Amino acid sequence: MSATTTGSTVRADDTRAREGTVASEQPAERARFRHAVHSEWVKIRTMRSSLFVVLGTLASTAGLAALNGSSAGGDHARLTAAEQATFDPLAISLMGYLLAQIALGLLGGLVITSEYGARTIVGTLTSVPHRARVLAAKALVLAGVALPVGLLVSATGFVIGQASLAGQGAPHLALSDGLALRGIMGGSLYLTLATLLGLAIGTVIRSTTATVTTLFGVMLIVQAFAPALPGTLGDWVSRYWPPMAGGQVVTGYRDPDLLGPWAGLGLMAAAVAVLLAVGFVVFGKRDA
Amino acid sequence: MIEVHELTKRYGDVLAVDHLSFAVPSGQVTGFLGPNGAGKSTTMRMVLGLDAASSGTATVDGRLYVAQPTPLRSVGALLDPGAVLPSRRAHHHLLALAAGNGIPRERVAEVLDEVGLQSVGRRRTGTFSLGMRQRLGIAAALLGDPPVLIFDEPLNGLDPEGIVWMRSLMRRMAAEGRTVLMSSHLMSEMELTADHLIVIGRGRLIADTSMEDFIAAHSDRQVVVRSPQVEVLRRLLGGRAGVRVDDVDGGPGLLVTGLEAAEIGALAAAAGLELHELTSRQPSLEQAFMDLTRDAQEYRSDAEPTR
Repeated sequence: MSATTTGSTVRADDTRAREGTVASEQPAERARFRHAVHSEWVKIRTMRSSLFVVLGTLASTAGLAALNGSSAGGDHARLTAAEQATFDPLAISLMGYLLAQIALGLLGGLVITSEYGARTIVGTLTSVPHRARVLAAKALVLAGVALPVGLLVSATGFVIGQASLAGQGAPHLALSDGLALRGIMGGSLYLTLATLLGLAIGTVIRSTTATVTTLFGVMLIVQAFAPALPGTLGDWVSRYWPPMAGGQVVTGYRDPDLLGPWAGLGLMAAAVAVLLAVGFVVFGKRDA
Repeated sequence: MIEVHELTKRYGDVLAVDHLSFAVPSGQVTGFLGPNGAGKSTTMRMVLGLDAASSGTATVDGRLYVAQPTPLRSVGALLDPGAVLPSRRAHHHLLALAAGNGIPRERVAEVLDEVGLQSVGRRRTGTFSLGMRQRLGIAAALLGDPPVLIFDEPLNGLDPEGIVWMRSLMRRMAAEGRTVLMSSHLMSEMELTADHLIVIGRGRLIADTSMEDFIAAHSDRQVVVRSPQVEVLRRLLGGRAGVRVDDVDGGPGLLVTGLEAAEIGALAAAAGLELHELTSRQPSLEQAFMDLTRDAQEYRSDAEPTR
């Protein structure tokens, strides 16, 4: 990730003769999408919060997996038969996605809200005046960061969580189980979508604080209050609210009232796509 | 060359820029003047495609900014020196901009060198003074070695040495055949730096002329007179039509507007008055600008009596 940081040492013999000339020496290469992607990569790599987000995501996922695994594992023996039937080692180990999605969503938001906060959007759009190109480059770079980070935290959470369950003598999964692969891959995809959701929200509302608040509301508060909602509405929200539906991909027990893991993730992806499309329209029209 | 044609920016009922047309030719420094809120920055932002024009066009070398093949190689701009992420290092800030246009990374060190920031390129921009941020913004404008440069208040925050450096930089850029458009409220600097002036007020073009013509056309000729009989002289000159007599700064004496030095000398001699000084004041851009905007304000209050 940091292979391209160095290389701009000042040359002592840097005396360019250019009296009377205006044109650049080398024929100007037309600026393209890949240049915008490179620019966004430099920016995310040199934004201090990026590293904090990645480390924070990793720490919270690993920590929650260990705590949740040993506490749920310890309780397992005392559960009723019905409760044991819904015991879900996968969900217990990947519980940390609840926090990871906020952290990565914040990273997605910051990539654009920090530009409005510091007014660097002016420089960004003078370098790359094609608005859609800027936003697409941001989305691509974010996906390129979130996918491997998501894979790493999901795998870490899984391994630590299952080890904790095993340590308590509770049912647990091995990496070779099909469910493990689905949980880790799906978790990684889910976190990537959460990151892009942050980008979409940040693009539309531009403020970092408001973006964080919105992410909390959309991803945690609704989830926490869904059971308290009256009958049909509560059922509908639990089934179709995109982050809740998407979260099914990191669960092993199948509740027949909820969407399946891939259908749920698909719904989440569709919602993110719609919001991103709104972001593209707004970003394209608005004065910088 | 920058060309602005019937450019208009409307915010609700307010016309920030009102059917503005002008051209900024290459090979000279063009000063962009106007009181606060005249629409200078908005015009520059529309040239750069940051704000969309309500109507009209702004082009650089015949193309809209968004249609420039490599924007930073066509236009370099300094709009807002504060527009940096404080935690980002200066050379990373420039590297991100350069990368977006495929400008090689070696160029970052070159422009840092050119603006005198080579020793602090690895520092976070949050530690920079306003003057250093101005220099960083100028470095960003120079990244693509562009034929057109747009500077909005580039002298803000620069120390005297920095102002002299900035002046010589702009003169050199113009001498190399580039187009240089600069706004500033520092009239004495503008007078030393710019060859040509575009003056706007309330979003409309007020003047588009050379520096000499502007000063000659818009400043009143003034004469400083000192005499031991200053009050007698004041009554003698002040009673004449079209003549204004004020106290002059720095000691007893009169600042006379509306009469030539020779006429004042003749009037004083006829009245038997003794003169200790009789000096024609060299008209300045500052004086011309103040006179013009004062006239414009008078014109405006006549034109819009309902306000």
